[in-house]
Amino acid sequence: MVEFRIRRFNGDETYWESFEVPTRRGMTVLEGLYYIKENIDSSLTFRASCRMGICGSCAVKINGRPKLACETQIASVGNKIILEPLDNFTVLKDLVTEFEGFFAKHKAVKPYLIRSDVSYEEPKELIQTPSELRNYYIFTLCIKCGACYSVCPAAATRDDCLGPAAMMAAYRFCADSRDRGEDARISIASKDLAVWRCHLAMECSEVCPKKAEPAKAIQLLRRKTAVNAIKSILRW
Amino acid sequence: MPILDWFKFTNRSVYSLAFAIQRITGIILLFYLCLHLIFLTSLTDRTGETYESLIAVTVSKQFLLFDILLVLCGVSHGINGLRVIVHEFGFVYEYRKVVIGFAFFLVIVAWLYASYVMYCLVGG
Amino acid sequence: MKMQYDIVIVGAGLAGMRAAIAAAEKSKKLSIAILAKTYPIRCHSVCAEGGTAAVLREDDDYDLHAWDTIKGSDFLADQDAVEFFVRNAPKEILRLDNWGCPWSRREDGRIAQRAFGGHSVNRTVFAADRTGFHEVHTLYERLLIYDNVDIFSEYFLTNLIVEDGSIKGVATIELKSGDLVIFETKATVLATGGAGRLYGFTTYSHQVTGDGMAVAYRCGVPLKDMEFFQFHPTGLVPSGILMTEACRGEGGYLRNKFGERFMEKYAPEKMELAPRDVVSRAMWREIIEGRGIDSEFGSYIALDLTHLGEDKINERLPMIRDAAIKFAGVDPVDEPIPVRPVAHYTMGGIHSNKNCETQIAGLYVAGECACVSIHGANRLGSNSTIECLVFGKVAGEMAAEYALNSSGSHVPKDFILNEESRIFDHLLGRNGDENPYSLKKELNETMDKKLWIFRDRDGLSEAVGKIRELKERYSNVEINDKSKGFNTDLTSTLEIGYMLDLAEVVATAALYREESRGAHYRIDFPKRDDVNWLKHSLAYYTPEGPVFKYIPVTITKWKPTERKY
Repeated sequence: MVEFRIRRFNGDETYWESFEVPTRRGMTVLEGLYYIKENIDSSLTFRASCRMGICGSCAVKINGRPKLACETQIASVGNKIILEPLDNFTVLKDLVTEFEGFFAKHKAVKPYLIRSDVSYEEPKELIQTPSELRNYYIFTLCIKCGACYSVCPAAATRDDCLGPAAMMAAYRFCADSRDRGEDARISIASKDLAVWRCHLAMECSEVCPKKAEPAKAIQLLRRKTAVNAIKSILRW
Repeated sequence: MPILDWFKFTNRSVYSLAFAIQRITGIILLFYLCLHLIFLTSLTDRTGETYESLIAVTVSKQFLLFDILLVLCGVSHGINGLRVIVHEFGFVYEYRKVVIGFAFFLVIVAWLYASYVMYCLVGG
Repeated sequence: MKMQYDIVIVGAGLAGMRAAIAAAEKSKKLSIAILAKTYPIRCHSVCAEGGTAAVLREDDDYDLHAWDTIKGSDFLADQDAVEFFVRNAPKEILRLDNWGCPWSRREDGRIAQRAFGGHSVNRTVFAADRTGFHEVHTLYERLLIYDNVDIFSEYFLTNLIVEDGSIKGVATIELKSGDLVIFETKATVLATGGAGRLYGFTTYSHQVTGDGMAVAYRCGVPLKDMEFFQFHPTGLVPSGILMTEACRGEGGYLRNKFGERFMEKYAPEKMELAPRDVVSRAMWREIIEGRGIDSEFGSYIALDLTHLGEDKINERLPMIRDAAIKFAGVDPVDEPIPVRPVAHYTMGGIHSNKNCETQIAGLYVAGECACVSIHGANRLGSNSTIECLVFGKVAGEMAAEYALNSSGSHVPKDFILNEESRIFDHLLGRNGDENPYSLKKELNETMDKKLWIFRDRDGLSEAVGKIRELKERYSNVEINDKSKGFNTDLTSTLEIGYMLDLAEVVATAALYREESRGAHYRIDFPKRDDVNWLKHSLAYYTPEGPVFKYIPVTITKWKPTERKY
């Protein structure tokens, strides 16, 4: 039996509640949450979908560190599992937080391939070598779970900061050899509340469940913005 | 207060700890900088008396402990700052574990050396 | 609360988002709403792994892709639809490339293709082993460009509003506030996905409960071929997480307790790359005849990738390696992965034609929730993602054309009051004895035992009886969480209601079909019977249970032959 201690919120007040969950070998934290919902208290509210670490719904703080509940084995955490919703997000109910702002920031960096010589009616194959693909592939692995945003000190101090995931999405397209829209994205990334807010706490890369290296992407984006800024000053 | 999140390092990696220490030592050094400016502006009395009296108080065996701690702040802020500069713009990010380990080693070496020099300067 | 849109798309997976893009491209004047019960990038389509099939190169041929699909379907697929489908597939791959999808490449920079079960040529395009994930993110990011598309996340479908045989609107619950939100619309596309959570051991996400299918069924649209459920050969034990067919496509072997590659006995030519129903039956037979490997989670078969080498696994199957280590504690580089056949795909669905039309004017369906039918009695791997793209486009364009040529609709007020009363007073407000989650557990157990790979009359009749009993008990269910905002207890209970309706259709359809074809195998009728059963089953809703009609299969070029691999 393992104790699940969950920080709950019912719309008015925050309170802690503990549940005893019977476990078996290989059981994940998410399975524990479903056990509580289906057998003890069905008002427990959390997000979950794929249970295989690819949809990004179930990111929560487990014993203080943001992780995907579906990928975390109960045995690796211990006998007392403390669950809280992610930091830097507004809590809606129990472990569910507001995500509209997060997706709006992602949209703001123009995270789509910009290229004028392709047509919708007659698409054509674009050439990209395996090494060009490797340049940016790791940054495409973002599942938008929000773990990086919840540990970013810049995002903690300013609500309107873009955050690691959005900036990694911006870099992913700048580094894609098929893209021609770098200028549009650089002008967004070089604003005050974007790339220059990062002072290298590097925690985002440590908690990313897909090891997509957001801190590296932000620094490479910073390099691009700096080079662009110098070029424009020297009128190159 | 959101700004207190800068100093969160429980359940975080060593990089967040370095980040928090950078902010704390930065504030301490800022305070020291003001003190340093006060010391130096005291030279405007052209005789050097105020300066010499201040120095007599602060460069002494009683103040050695504060000085050693101050040097630790300065050295770690500087060397960690260099580490941050190396990683910014995306260089050797894959070797960040090695880099932070090496930076920590340099901090200890530089601090011990500086402490030894100060210890000698205040007379054994 | 009421909102007005020209087109409403329910479901934001591959098919839904492709339909939204197609409709937005058709006309900037159309206002389009796309609704999903999660955020769009958290749909079940992200779990697709292996690839997307299309004819891209000169060594391949449309007729060959069509023949592979039709033979794979055990000749139940409608051949005119399949011919249309294979000819429209290649452009979808290229469009995704133009929109930024990181397809895996050959050395010369062109899109790579790999081998897959049932395909005679290597035509499966892939993006590492996360093809669905990359396709979904590419479509979502592309969707952000269109100003006339509004994305409504976490809206739960409760009903369709139909009057005089045409669609008037869609009723949903906005999860955040708990309010009933009505969308008045001219045209609707349903792209809500399959119904895999009927089963306990399944590759599906928790959210895939067949909402759209059940709602359309209750509104009078028939469900076609619901007895055909695909069982994917390699599901990780014990979680059910999918181990993609690409594992076998890249050269993996299946071994029983004695280390034999037993597929030699069942499909000597194609071996592990025979179609999924053939491989699943082979594996299940090995298990029930005692040649499976025992473990605390039951018997399993070993999926052996150890001879592929670490480099190939890291390049072509990185997510599989990660999942096997994380969820089964096994590193495929060193040890074989424990797998067992798992419920994976719903071949059946809402009856539609190759224009995605249903019998309700203005209602279009696409993706897994629709049954055109392309996949017939068994789907080939990597044919589903491309079906979603091709028919998502068709549904979006058809809906756009319909909306451009029709006038606005109005949802009557008493419908809204009835719907609110049905959900909030009668379901949420009532007291009862039953825990809805135990009904779900019993449903899963019944489906896992009686509607699995090998079926027989006794098992199926018992299943039908048990499901009817569960439906009775459902009318006595109580929802404990009476709050308004973000009430997942209410939505889960509604989902369980949908699943019970669908399970009744699946079980009854399976009981009536007295032959074995594709994924539906009857021990008491083990042969395929083209004389009596070369037809689609249509299930119509009545309060006493589904009523069945049968319609013929469209045959153009390929006469049914013996299906050997």
